[in-house]
Amino acid sequence: MLNQIGNYSLYIALLSSILIIIQSPILLNRNNINVSGRIFSLISIQSLMIIISFIALIIAFIISDFSNETVYNNSHTSKPLFYKISGTWGNHEGSLLLWLLVLSIFLLIFTITSKNLSNQYRILTLFFQEIIILGFLLFILFTSNPFMSLFPIPNEGTGLNPILQDPALAIHPPILYLGYVGTSIIFSSSLAALISGSVNKTWAKHIKNWVLVSWIFLSIGILLGSIWAYYELGWGGFWFWDPVENVSLMPWFCLTALFHTILILEKREIFHSWAVILSITTFSLSMSGTFLVRSGILNSIHTFANDPSRGVFILCFLFILISLSIFIYFFYQNKIKNNFSKTYIVSKETAVLVNNLFMMFFLSVVLIGTVYPIFLEVVNNDKISVGPPFYHKLIVPFMIPFLIFMAIGPNLNWIKDKINKINLQQLLFFILSIIVSYIFLKRVGISYLFSLPLFVASFFLFFITIKDFSVKKVNLSQKISHFGFSLFILSVLVNGVLAKEYSSNMKVGDERKFLNKTIKFESLKINENKNYQSLEANFKISDKNNSINLKPEIRVYDQPQTITSEADIESTLYSDNFLVFNILKNDGFYNVRYQIKPFMIWIWISIILISFGGILSIVKKNG
Amino acid sequence: MKIKILVFTVFYLISFYNILYGANPEKVDQISKNLRCLICQGQSVYDSQSDFALSMKILIQNKIDEGKNDKQIYDFLKSKYGEWIVYDPEITKNTFLLWLLPLILFVFGAILIIRKVSIK
Repeated sequence: MLNQIGNYSLYIALLSSILIIIQSPILLNRNNINVSGRIFSLISIQSLMIIISFIALIIAFIISDFSNETVYNNSHTSKPLFYKISGTWGNHEGSLLLWLLVLSIFLLIFTITSKNLSNQYRILTLFFQEIIILGFLLFILFTSNPFMSLFPIPNEGTGLNPILQDPALAIHPPILYLGYVGTSIIFSSSLAALISGSVNKTWAKHIKNWVLVSWIFLSIGILLGSIWAYYELGWGGFWFWDPVENVSLMPWFCLTALFHTILILEKREIFHSWAVILSITTFSLSMSGTFLVRSGILNSIHTFANDPSRGVFILCFLFILISLSIFIYFFYQNKIKNNFSKTYIVSKETAVLVNNLFMMFFLSVVLIGTVYPIFLEVVNNDKISVGPPFYHKLIVPFMIPFLIFMAIGPNLNWIKDKINKINLQQLLFFILSIIVSYIFLKRVGISYLFSLPLFVASFFLFFITIKDFSVKKVNLSQKISHFGFSLFILSVLVNGVLAKEYSSNMKVGDERKFLNKTIKFESLKINENKNYQSLEANFKISDKNNSINLKPEIRVYDQPQTITSEADIESTLYSDNFLVFNILKNDGFYNVRYQIKPFMIWIWISIILISFGGILSIVKKNG
Repeated sequence: MKIKILVFTVFYLISFYNILYGANPEKVDQISKNLRCLICQGQSVYDSQSDFALSMKILIQNKIDEGKNDKQIYDFLKSKYGEWIVYDPEITKNTFLLWLLPLILFVFGAILIIRKVSIK
């Protein structure tokens, strides 16, 4: 029953999509027709249908309707309700349906909020957005239908991967998707603005909100994924340069660059083409990202071959969209106003260009690092791994000038600034940063080649962004975001330099010394939970003054059978105490890993600050 | 006196030898962080508790005890398991583009900006 509802509503959505695509060129030629007429009702019907199908899938998951193949493959009656619901998007089919849902809802919001803009621009945006929606609908209906029926109906499902049964990971995909899909509106509207010849201030002002919204959701989505990796993957890092993570970082770089460019476009009416190119790139990256992750190309190209129809569809769809946008770009490029005169070297405009240069560089490092191994394997069957050392070696040296530019840039004036203004105050802060970094590194006892300049640059940015709070001409949201970023870099560095780790094999009752602390393995007990059994250990970590108890777990899930290690983390403002243990083959011994991670919580706080700056900017403008 | 000096020298040499070549757990960590655990998904040998990773760590420790330096150890592992095992690809004819492309793009972008900027 639910399968039918889901299927039919998706087909109705498909039909409305086709109708809109056919009608929009006709409406385009009639000048004074209001979009809020027929097209608006079609869009509403479409969104409603997609919402219904999504709800149908959620209900199928809640009531464990195993006549649905997706539910059968990804759920189990013994799962807690919360994870039954989050299981809806914890799989390939469901996550695509979620993408589609967000796509159509965003389009609806766009249609409602753009009433005061030109008809031509609106209809064209709708047109491109509907092409994307149509592509997704076809992809879902013909290669990844979440409403496939099973007969005879099985009694029990196969369960959701236990590693996904986690609160942060349950909300991580929807948040990230809001960011990804937001970029589709930017893409469609930039093409529409290009064709209607309205890449200008008004467009910049209108699209800025969408850029910000996508950027905020993407930032928070990345944050959630990284917090999850920190406590769930169980080895204490928060970023592994894993292809799946990289894929979410790439559109972030692009959006950050785009946001800064849009600001300039709005204020000064320059960089039109660049803004359009960035809009197209951002969306292409978001979409390739989702598909790369979902199709499994990234882990190995062999999984790609498992389901050729999906892979081929993905590639064709991406190819069509990207070539369509490139074609449109070159065809209508001459419609872009070109009032570009050279910008003066010391000005805010140049600063934004430099920001963009670095963003594009970081993007290219991550992009090439992620895709290169895939190409190499295809081309000559050589397998190489590109991991953290590669990214660090290429990014860190460029980080130093980037941070310094970021400190100086926002204080420059528009159009033209005096060179000698950069001097005294900033010089003082720079000297202060050198002294602080030197003392800090000396005390920690580290003398790597890059450490000193890197610390100097980040302390410099840190001091300047704090100082900037007293400057009037910079707006508050920018101050908060930039300060958040400097705090982020500094926390990551300090965390990296000061983190301490101890690993040992212990049995119950053992005691180990580490630095000035004593780690005692006090007890072990077995808990029965609804869908897993857990082995809960109790460790006492004590030094002279105080002691804490950490209780990591080893969980044995039954559906499907999987063992996971749950770290226990005690967070304070100064540092995190992180402890995780694993079963060893020798009787009674466990591998215990204890880590002290200074300023860990500040990494999360700083990312929240960065995003908060964006939220503030939206609220202020509309309030 | 001579004996004292001799004993002292020998002791000093031994301790020096120990510092240079002795058990150096941090070095094992350093190397194993740079190796892919071949049977895990996206985990380094250092982070993994799998049998493969554990025996790998012992192997690296043995190599260090034999007095091999980092490069020798990496070369040995690469000849045994292929390039795939190291996270830090060497610059070869297969990988020079990987390292060079981002840098070329940066220079290209920088030139574009310089052309758009005037000093007057």
